[in-house]
Order: sequence, then structure tokens, then C-alpha cells
Amino acid sequence: MRVLVLEDEPALRETLARQFRDEGFTIDEAGDGVEGEFAGLEYPIDLAVVDLGLPGRSGLDAIRAWRKAGRNFPVLILTARDSWQEKVAGLDAGADDYVTKPFRFEEVLARVQALLRRSGGWSQPLIQCGAVALDTRAQEVRVAGDKIELTAFEYRLLEYLMLRAGQVVSKAELTEKLYEQDFERDSNTIEVFIGRLRRKLDPDNRHQPIETLRGRGYRIARG
Amino acid sequence: MARAVPSLQSRLVLTLAAVLLVAAGAAAWALDSLYRNLGIRAQEDVLDAQVIALISSAEIEADGRLVPQNLAEARLSTPGSGLYAEIEGATGRWRSPSSVGSGLAFTSAPKPGERRFENVLLGDGTRALALSLGVHWEPEEGAARDYVIRAAQSLEPWYAQLLRVRTGLVTGFLLLGLLLLGALAIALRVALGPLRRLEQEISDIEAGRSDALGTGWPRELSGVTGNLNALLVGERKRLERYRTTLGNLAHSLKTPLAAMRGLLEQGDSTAAALAPQLDRMQGIVQHQLKRAVFGGSGATLTDQPVLEPLEQLRTALGKVYADKPIRMTLAVAPGTAYPIDAGDLLELAGNLVDNACKYCKSSVAVRATPWTAAEWRRPGLVLEVEDDGAGIAPAERARVLERGVRADETVAGQGIGLSVAREIATAYSGTIEIGESRLGGARICLRLPGR
Repeated sequence: MRVLVLEDEPALRETLARQFRDEGFTIDEAGDGVEGEFAGLEYPIDLAVVDLGLPGRSGLDAIRAWRKAGRNFPVLILTARDSWQEKVAGLDAGADDYVTKPFRFEEVLARVQALLRRSGGWSQPLIQCGAVALDTRAQEVRVAGDKIELTAFEYRLLEYLMLRAGQVVSKAELTEKLYEQDFERDSNTIEVFIGRLRRKLDPDNRHQPIETLRGRGYRIARG
Repeated sequence: MARAVPSLQSRLVLTLAAVLLVAAGAAAWALDSLYRNLGIRAQEDVLDAQVIALISSAEIEADGRLVPQNLAEARLSTPGSGLYAEIEGATGRWRSPSSVGSGLAFTSAPKPGERRFENVLLGDGTRALALSLGVHWEPEEGAARDYVIRAAQSLEPWYAQLLRVRTGLVTGFLLLGLLLLGALAIALRVALGPLRRLEQEISDIEAGRSDALGTGWPRELSGVTGNLNALLVGERKRLERYRTTLGNLAHSLKTPLAAMRGLLEQGDSTAAALAPQLDRMQGIVQHQLKRAVFGGSGATLTDQPVLEPLEQLRTALGKVYADKPIRMTLAVAPGTAYPIDAGDLLELAGNLVDNACKYCKSSVAVRATPWTAAEWRRPGLVLEVEDDGAGIAPAERARVLERGVRADETVAGQGIGLSVAREIATAYSGTIEIGESRLGGARICLRLPGR
């Protein structure tokens, strides 16, 4: 999952980015509206966290520019002014939810999870694909009722595939979404992680939840 | 410093002085020209009469001259009397005794049957009006002859009279004008009296000698003074609110600050130890400041349509509560509007509707209707927000509205919306009532009075 963090206060931006990375997200950081607008338009991001009170080009302008250009990734706004006028303005410009500053990271994370799940077309926090159940709120994975321990990266990989259940996701797309820009891209790494995920989810090779489509990518069956 | 603008009084007096000057000038000119025309006509009539009198008493003498046999007008016999006559024929002329030494010289020589008026100069340079009449005389015996009969009258006495009339006119009109301007100045002083009183009372307020305008204003000013008083009250309320908020804020922040200092002095600066204090400070800042920022009522507010912000809220909350299938119905009477700060209206509605969305099962109903009363020129507003949630128990209702009002009370985020809404409503002299909804949950009724 690739998330753009658009926040002008460096301490807050870096903290947010670090906390997201710890949760297995891939992060693009931007410190002003112009840079942020460019990142939202040019990078394959899945979600943006936008501070409304940016110097120069405002967060609202960036959101409007993305929506105008047809970018429909979910946007979570951070607002310091806890007034409905500001919240409504943000939501009206194209944002999908808001968090009021100061906030706890858990709150931001919960909102981000919910937005990502909804943008994948899932209306409930529990995503079930065959025997595999992913609880986006608790960030838990169960197979046939048994809890499976996954690393943050493995969780994000599974979440990405399950949110797009029924669709084929290419290795290139996974690389792009799950790695930082400046990491060396090696599609073998993805194969290694898919292999680990399969062993954890299905040690006996009974459910075979992740299907490999040769030359095209991976798919988890919906339902 | 801006250029001084002339006072209302001097504007009015100057304008009216100009108007009076033009009007009086025109009237004087009209009267003068009427008088002059009538005067000239009267002079001409006198000359006509003299010429006819001359003709009626004239007879041809042996030398062929036509001579009046008796002079009825005594002035014709007195030299320098100002009335002169002459009859001129081919054989010679007759002149009235009054013409002797007058230096009178007639110039026009009309043909028989012709009649001419002319202005002539006398020997001493004064002016006279002259009439010359050409006649064809046919006596009972002898041959017919042509004569010119002339009469002239000095214009000097008339000019003197005209001068007297003009002087009278000018002084009369000047006096009248001054009288009118004086009366106007007095009338203005009386009429503008309340304005001077207003000025005085405002400077009293500025100097702190008074805190509101008095009563008993003329109808034209009562709107302004009423609005000014409302503005003053609104400002004072707002100032009090800021003071209270800042006082509460400073006071209530001291406790967690002291706690943190204590922790640090004990060497316990772990996140676990500091977090509760930070949370407490965050809660205090949020709740206290939220109360202070709203705009508050004032006399200058324009009517805000109610439907538009409610629709914006429905769209916005639809996104926020995307995981909850909420059916929100909006019923707004057409044209419902209320004089309120746009941000305050959104804040009021946002807190109430957000609360309903938070606690409902699946339905929220919002209804806005104007609230009319005979004494209000601008109607009030009734906003009802209902949900199908668990509702608020009667015993809880008062507490929910009071929640977080006291500065040192730490409050969880939930339910603060209602008490914030109540504070905003209070600033507009409105009320919030909690009841039971037909939907099964709470029914919040906000009433904002009109003006």
C-alpha cells in the first residue's frame, strides 16, 4: 500500500511516515502543496493523507487538482481547525474523511484502513476470501478460524491482494506499491514473499488461496 | 487623515442658499421687466393723449402753420416742465412754450398716417420718449397740407421711480432670503438634534462613561441605534466569552503542566507517564477553544439560507459515515433563512447532525422551519434533528448539554457536540431541547428567535 503524506511540519511528517512504514506501508512524503500535488498526480499512490493548512498552495487546492485530473484514490485530511466549515470544505473538495489535530496515530491508521478497504469495494471491515479472513480493523488474519501471525510487510501484501480479490495483480504493480521509490526493484523479492505467505496461510497446501497466473501475476478469488 | 467632509448642516445651508439666490434673482428680474414694460406703456399712453389734444385744438393760421388754439396741459406752457410739443409743416413750425431752452431735437419725420416712438436726448443730456404722428390736414376752406405733430416727455422722473422700485425689490428679496436661511438653520438644529445626541452618547461609550445608547430616538434613527446596541451587547458577550475561555484555559492547563513537571523532576519521562497529561491538555484546548471561536450574533448579519449547508453536511457526513448505511432525510421549508454567521450555522448543524449520525442505527431526519412571531421583522429558525438510536435518558439530558462547560472537567470526545451547539445557540439567544423522537432515538430541537 502506497500512501502519500502531505504535511508541512517536518517533525509531524517524519513521525507519520515512520509510523506508517512500521505498519508495512510504502510512503511518499511531500512538504508543500506544489510537491504534494505533483506526487499525487504522478505516483501510483493508493491513498493520500493531506494537511489542509499548508503554506503556499493549500491542501484543498491539491485535492481539487487530483480530482480534476481523475485521480480517485481516497484522501484523508488532517485539520487543525476543528470547525465544521473547514471539514465540510475539505470533504466538498474531494476528501473522504478527516482527522482533527492533534491525533493519535491509531486513529489515523484506523481511518486509512477503512478508506483503503472501501476503495477496494468492501463495505465491511471483515474481508473473507475462501478460508482466509482479514480483519482490517484489528489487522488480523485467520484461516479457517485460526489466527495467523504475519509480519507488517506480509500483512500489507495479503491485504493488497485481498482488497483486489478477483483481479489479477502484476508483480510490477506489487513492487511499485509495496516498495519505496528508491529501493532496488527486484521482482524475485515479491516471489519470495508470496512463497512465505503461502506457507503461512496454507501449510498443508489444502486451500491454495493465492493463484499464480504465469506471466501476468497473482490473484485471490473473491468470495 | 481624510479630508474633512462638510457637515450636514453646512451642506444643507449652502445648497439652499444657492437655490434661494437663483430663485430670488429670477423673481426680481421678472418683476422688474414687468414693471418696466408697464411703465413704458403708460408713458406712451400719455404722449398719445397729448398728441390727440393738440390735434383737437389746432387750426391753420394765416402763415400756414398749424397751431393749437389753447393749451389744456399747463406743463406745455411752463419751460423745463418735462412735457414738450411741436407741430411742423412745410411752411414753418409751432413749438410749445415749454420747449424753450430744452435743446429738444426731434429726428423722425413720419409720413401722414404714420406713428413713431423714439428716444431722444435733451440739451442737458437727459433722456425723453417722443411720439411723432404724420397727419394730412384738410381744412374747411383752403388747400390741404401735411404736418407732423410731436410730443415728448422726459423719462427722468420715471427712471428715478424705477430705481426706487429696483432697490426695494433687491433689499426685499435679500431680507426674505436671509430670513429663510435663518429659519432653516434653526429648523436643522432642531431636526439634527438627535444626531448630536447620538454623537455624544457614542463618545460617552468610547470613553467608558456609558455602556449602551439610551432610548427615545426618532423613527429614522431607531433602527441604527437598535442595531448599535445589539452590536455592543454582542461584542461585550463575545469579549466576556473570550475572557472566560482564556481564563479557564490558562487555569485548567496548569494542572496537567504541573503534573508533567512533577513527572520530569522525578525522572519519569516515559511516553506512558506523559501521554495521559498530553491527552488531558489536548482535550482542554479543543473544548475551550471551540467554545470561543464561534462568531456570535450581531446586528450586521445577513440572512443565511439553511438548505445549502444542510445539503453540504449530508454529503460530507455521507463520506465520514460511509461504513454505516444511514438514510438521512432533509425537510427544509422553501426559503428558510436565518441571520447568522455562516460558520456558526454550519457548526450548529454540523454538531447536531454529526451527533445524530454517530448514535443512530440507520435513520436521521433533519427538519428546518422558519419560526415567525408578530414582533419579529426577520423570522427565527427551528431546526429539529432526530435519530433512531438509543436516545438520551431524561435524567441525562441536562448533563449532556452542560458537558464540558466547566473548565476543569475532562471530557471524552463523545457528546461534546451538543454542549458546543448549546453555547452557540445561547449566543443567538436560542435554546436547545432534548426529547424523544418518533424514530425511537433522540430528538434535538434547536430554536433560534427572530429579530
